[in-house]
Amino acid sequence: MSVSSSRKITLILGAELEKLVTLPLVWLTLMGTFILNLVLAAAFTSVGLQGAAGTQSILKIGLASMEYLQAGFIILGILATCSEYTGGQIRTTLTTIPWRGFQLSAKHLALAIVTIPMAFIIAASGVLYACIMMRDTALVIEIDAMIKTLVGATGYLTLTTLLSAAIGVLLRRTTPALVVLLGHYFIVSPLLRDFLPSIKNYFPDTAGYYMYMPPSSDEINVLTPIQGTGVSMLWTLIFITVAIVFYRKRDA
Amino acid sequence: MLTINNLVKYRGTQEILSGISFKARPGRVTGFLGPNGAGKSSTLRILLGLDRATSGSALINGKPFAELHNPLATVGAALDGFGAHRMRTGRAHLRWIARASGLSRSRVEEVLEIVGLTNVAGKRIGNYSLGMGRRLGLAAALLGDPKILVLDEPVNGLDPEGIRWIRTFLRERAESGNTVLLSSHLMGELEETVDDVVIINHGKIVANGTLKEVIGNHSTLEEAFFALTSKNAGDVV
Repeated sequence: MSVSSSRKITLILGAELEKLVTLPLVWLTLMGTFILNLVLAAAFTSVGLQGAAGTQSILKIGLASMEYLQAGFIILGILATCSEYTGGQIRTTLTTIPWRGFQLSAKHLALAIVTIPMAFIIAASGVLYACIMMRDTALVIEIDAMIKTLVGATGYLTLTTLLSAAIGVLLRRTTPALVVLLGHYFIVSPLLRDFLPSIKNYFPDTAGYYMYMPPSSDEINVLTPIQGTGVSMLWTLIFITVAIVFYRKRDA
Repeated sequence: MLTINNLVKYRGTQEILSGISFKARPGRVTGFLGPNGAGKSSTLRILLGLDRATSGSALINGKPFAELHNPLATVGAALDGFGAHRMRTGRAHLRWIARASGLSRSRVEEVLEIVGLTNVAGKRIGNYSLGMGRRLGLAAALLGDPKILVLDEPVNGLDPEGIRWIRTFLRERAESGNTVLLSSHLMGELEETVDDVVIINHGKIVANGTLKEVIGNHSTLEEAFFALTSKNAGDVV
């Protein structure tokens, strides 16, 4: 790759990062998600305190809010891409950066750069809260297990954000993208788990669950964290690829 | 030099551009005129790489837009609307554009000064008037100090002072050797600004020449325009 091309990619990435961090809705979504997660963590911890003990319980209770918390990251992903279609910004983007494949890839990379630390902080805040409230129940806090789980949760939330961004590119409008994604994660997927138990582990959300949740002994047909990561990553890459193909071919 | 050659565009089964051809030359202001829905914006969108032509080509210095090495320094474009997210500030909007092209933040302040938006640069774009939005679009177009300007309805929403300012500004750009292509449906505003005129109606070019040639025997550009578009003349002037 020539020097000018690598500089161009750096500039595009910088511009996409600047777009994200100067959009107030991005910060409002992240702050709202952080606060909501703490409230949920407090509620789950208070319920879970009865009879729970050990590091695994702390992790399970601290991450019990993940199912709801992911909604914030779905919104973040949609905002990152659908905001291009507000006020005709997409025209400015594509007349400034007409290399669509590069531009959209850079946007996803910028989104991952913003999402990873925020997802870690938000997921860790719930676990930390549970940890403080339940410190008397665990003789030894297993830091290794805790970090592994938090890395898995961060990975899952980041992949969910990127997948949502790709769906946002395909649909271009915030409301339809929200309906499709929240409808899938909160209605369709839970129903399919009951109707299609044989393939339930291969949906992006159910596979992603195994990235952070330690398997319990009474579950059968579970995925390992690596398998969960692989399936979840595959879904995200497929949707990003499809989004790039459509984005490159269609009229802006 | 902008070269539009036999451009055809279909949306679904409807042909919205039927073999459009014209040039916009350096040192001249070219007015691209036509009623609403005639195909002006569609032509400009293809020229700027936003839409794909069904056939034909739209080239900038012999290249399609996507093949330009540094688009912002080659072509400054302002299409209809603000072209910016309403929750961002005007300054933040220009800064990300500048960053994408490796331009300094001081250049952002320069263009804000040129278009007269310095005092409101820290306000959210959602609070801008239509005229301020047009000025912001122009500021973005000027960031890279390009030799070519492509402006869609640039006087739309501007107050009389703004219209006079943009008229003078565009004439000065052309006189210093730059290429200016602007579309409009306002004949009166353009007669004093343009050197060359291209008139489009129902996706077809109905007149193409210097201002004098297009006006011909009519007393004004407006009269010539209505004569050419109302009878839907098939012959190019």
